[in-house]
Amino acid sequence: MIELLASRYAYALMFVLLAIGLYMMIANENLVKKLIGVNLFQTAIFLFFVAVAYVEGGSSPVVPADPDPGAQLIASPLPHVIVLTAIVVGVALTAVGLALIVRIYAEYGTLREDTLREVRADD
Amino acid sequence: MSAVAYTLVVFVLLTAVATALFRDVLSAIVVFGAYSLGMAILYTFLLAPDVAMTEAAIGAGVTTILLLLTIARTSRPSSDRIFERVNVPALVVCGAFLVVMLATVLPATEAVGDPEAIAWANPEVTGYYIENTYEDTGVQNAVTAVLAAYRGFDTFGEAVVVFAAGVATLLVLGREVFA
Repeated sequence: MIELLASRYAYALMFVLLAIGLYMMIANENLVKKLIGVNLFQTAIFLFFVAVAYVEGGSSPVVPADPDPGAQLIASPLPHVIVLTAIVVGVALTAVGLALIVRIYAEYGTLREDTLREVRADD
Repeated sequence: MSAVAYTLVVFVLLTAVATALFRDVLSAIVVFGAYSLGMAILYTFLLAPDVAMTEAAIGAGVTTILLLLTIARTSRPSSDRIFERVNVPALVVCGAFLVVMLATVLPATEAVGDPEAIAWANPEVTGYYIENTYEDTGVQNAVTAVLAAYRGFDTFGEAVVVFAAGVATLLVLGREVFA
């Protein structure tokens, strides 16, 4: 069990971070903290992609000008590209979510989910 | 796997738990910035310097600024309690999720850094990019080459998504003129 965790530490870390992000989305009443939970969940997925591309004893995906095929181990560049795209799209989504939160606050004067439900029930 | 990387794993875990439990939103945002930075350094240990730079600039930088701007325009709950009350049902659900994942999915993964890992399931695909990147594009960084040359149209699509998000943000924040 310990050996399994030690050799797959990045995946184990990913699952723990996924659980924490999920907990934040469910349990935190504050809308801003819910959105932080979404971001935390996202970075856990990024960690998965980066860990998949990693090779022990390899080098980062910068290829020499005259490559000697098969002579060296290089981390796979393809998952890195996906993650770069996902980071930028993620921050765009965060911006839209935060704009919605600002509007909700302007409309109802609260960011707490339970208070929001009461205010909306009164309408 | 060096001792520094294991320390980083512990640091990332601690900051993530602190982010979830701090009741004060400002503290949670600051700790989340530290978490993003720790994650960025962990990415460099996993041989992904491009991802690390983007995460440090956008995850730790832009996201933190956006969150700070939001609480500047809304409210920051004041309370004498430092930590949030733990929500037991949610904790049970997430704990069950974690246990199921660790018990079923984790043993099915390859060890981290194994050259036979999932990304290498088709070695000829990854190998193609590593071998031909410099010849095809004249760029030594394979990530840049794939992002800007081989998959340039996908990056254009990403720019369209960011533009749409910008328009949506302006629409949502825009005041009604004829209210």
